[in-house]
Amino acid sequence: MDQEILLTIQGYAKFFIILFVFIVFYSYAYSIYKRQRTGERDYEKYSKLVLDDSLDSTPLEERDRLEKKKS
Amino acid sequence: MFHWLEQRPFFFAVALFLTVAFAGFVEIIPDFAKASQPTVGTKPYSVLELAGRQVYIKDSCNACHSQLVRPFKSETDRYGMYSLSGEYAYDRPFLWGSKRTGPDLMRVGNYRTTDWHENHMMAPSEVVPGSIMPAYPHQFTNEADIATAYANANTQKEVFGTPYDQADMPKLGSWDEANAQALDDAKAIAKDMKNQEVKDAVAGGKIPEVVALIAYLNSLK
Amino acid sequence: MQSNAQLEYDYSVVKAFTFATILFGIIGMLVGVIIAFQLAFPELSNLAGEYGTFGRLRPLHTNGVAFGFTLSGIFATWYYVGQRTLKMSLKESKLLMTVAKLHFGLYFLTILLAVVTLAMGFTSSKEYAELEWPLDVLVVVWWVLWGVAMFGMIGMRRERTIYVSTWYYMSSFLAVAMLYLFNNMEVPTFLWSGDAPSSLMHSISMYSGTNDALVQWWYGHNAVAFVFTTPIIGMIYYFLPKESGQNIFSYKLSVLAFWGLMFVYLWAGGHHLVYSTVPDWMQTMGSVMSVVLILPSWGSAINMLLTMKGEWQQLQTSPLIKFMILASTFYMLSTIEGPIQAIKSVNAIAHFTDWIPGHVHDGVLGWVGFMTIASLYHMAPRMFKREIYSKKLMDAQFWIQTVAIILYFTSMWIAGITQGMMWRAYDEYGSLLYSFIDTVTVLQPYYTIRAVGGLLYLIGFFMFAYNMYKTATVGRVLDREPANASPMAV
Repeated sequence: MDQEILLTIQGYAKFFIILFVFIVFYSYAYSIYKRQRTGERDYEKYSKLVLDDSLDSTPLEERDRLEKKKS
Repeated sequence: MFHWLEQRPFFFAVALFLTVAFAGFVEIIPDFAKASQPTVGTKPYSVLELAGRQVYIKDSCNACHSQLVRPFKSETDRYGMYSLSGEYAYDRPFLWGSKRTGPDLMRVGNYRTTDWHENHMMAPSEVVPGSIMPAYPHQFTNEADIATAYANANTQKEVFGTPYDQADMPKLGSWDEANAQALDDAKAIAKDMKNQEVKDAVAGGKIPEVVALIAYLNSLK
Repeated sequence: MQSNAQLEYDYSVVKAFTFATILFGIIGMLVGVIIAFQLAFPELSNLAGEYGTFGRLRPLHTNGVAFGFTLSGIFATWYYVGQRTLKMSLKESKLLMTVAKLHFGLYFLTILLAVVTLAMGFTSSKEYAELEWPLDVLVVVWWVLWGVAMFGMIGMRRERTIYVSTWYYMSSFLAVAMLYLFNNMEVPTFLWSGDAPSSLMHSISMYSGTNDALVQWWYGHNAVAFVFTTPIIGMIYYFLPKESGQNIFSYKLSVLAFWGLMFVYLWAGGHHLVYSTVPDWMQTMGSVMSVVLILPSWGSAINMLLTMKGEWQQLQTSPLIKFMILASTFYMLSTIEGPIQAIKSVNAIAHFTDWIPGHVHDGVLGWVGFMTIASLYHMAPRMFKREIYSKKLMDAQFWIQTVAIILYFTSMWIAGITQGMMWRAYDEYGSLLYSFIDTVTVLQPYYTIRAVGGLLYLIGFFMFAYNMYKTATVGRVLDREPANASPMAV
């Protein structure tokens, strides 16, 4: 394969990869705003991870729940 | 799905790595083979020139001098023909620099002489009034490291296939041969120099750093 | 599970790295001030023989501030922010504690060795990757140790969701690991020395010429990204809300800006090679992506400024908030300046001139420096359990350093553009108007202003060191940890 064809393939590959990432990124953006609006998940509460961060305060979300879900 | 990712550090890290890394794969890899082809006529450095190149690196000349002529009229008028990728094929590492506190040196061998460099390295502001370059008197007394330069050349030959010892290309040979050749080259440079200590050192079989550096600078064309 | 009543966060490693930040900050900035004065007054260049020349000192300065000062600051804040947002203590694991301490020890040793070897002239000449191969090996070891500590801590966390600051630290760890490894692929030459008694320290790059340049600036640009940007954003996402007691303006925006930044940053490296011999499309891509990069950068910066919404009076009452808000502002300045310089026609003038160090320094002095200083100030009352020694001193430091930065970047902007224009000036007969030396001597006043700016910043840094030392030794003892605003004596 000569250089020309390689470069052409590379150009197309790049275009479609960027397009793909672009779509993923914006659907992610849309999905988190939608979930916030419908109340499925409150993202803004995670600020509390900073404001309430002493070792003996109750975690915002217990990790144990995660383990239980898995089983 | 994304929230799932954000609570699983391992998969999160993998996703993160892919996001960060793939620009590199797309951008860098495809042009690698092409860019490493030497331009016709480009030759590897001799051992003495490599030793000089190492002096250039040791004193970080590249902190203030570029070796990259951009394709503008104002640059080609000042420094000569603009740079071609293949001209750098034997440069390990590259020395383009990122700042021109001093002028570009890509083709300095075309318009400066051994004599000029000798005076300039000793006292830059006497050769170029107003120059802010430091003087480098230590290069007249420090000995150039020819052995490491030989190791450098031999590594290039053995590991990267740099064409030493081929027809029309610089000869490398064994360490003893290369050392003797470097001394001969150094004598040719020292002939044009005035500093008596340097001349004596070379006559006595020692090569001061400045001689190697000048050999390197003269090779930049 | 054990009871959490007596358990507390462990700050021993944080303290060690805080000390390193201040020590290497002083060394790195001092060398910087010296070389700045050398450019203005070249007589100063030959006071210490070969060890005092600009060429030897410049790598010492860049490595000292980037890998000494900034990295220590990043590690110090990581061990602090990491423990707190994950709600785990290093005391809970002997292993991680050992790893963290080893991380510090090896790191400290490496930087000290770096100072010595760079001064002796052992350099690979690749910018921000100057260390020769034995030191590179050491770097890899402690970088891996940091990763072990980081992922170990994450594995032990009580909090299910990982806070966005930690994402940024993770990205630094992963990206720098990749970049550093690939850029420092080198072959020690003594292995092929034949009979020649060659140096053990010397190595050559695996790549040659244009390829080497490409890899170097892929690294160089992104070392800036993942040492000077992402961990510092991680810091501001923790310390600004914490110090001000405010919720982040939009956590969603912080998440989106994170992924945007991660994706776009790597593409922009090509802007260091505009009009060079790398392929055209790569240069164009570098320029375009640099401009796109404004979006995620400003996303974070604006998010931080809006976090202060309704609480702007804190700017008057707390010099710490002032540091952080100005840091955020300087971040916005340099992330708009960078893309402007990446535009091809601007780059044609700006490249190789003093505008580039000017751009670097409004970023590092304003953004990285201020944010690191503010973070250490914030941590001091928590780790030493003492009140900050002097608010007045901190306020004075803030103003001195702010003036310093302004002197620095304004003089370098003017110097860079002057030089760039003079290089390309033609007279009426079509010959170059200025010889090169004309474009050097014209810069003398700007070099002087820059050096004075640098000196002022260093003076401010000494005030910071003194304030921290006094806080640790004679500050009023606090009976409990302050929740938000850090207590400071007048």
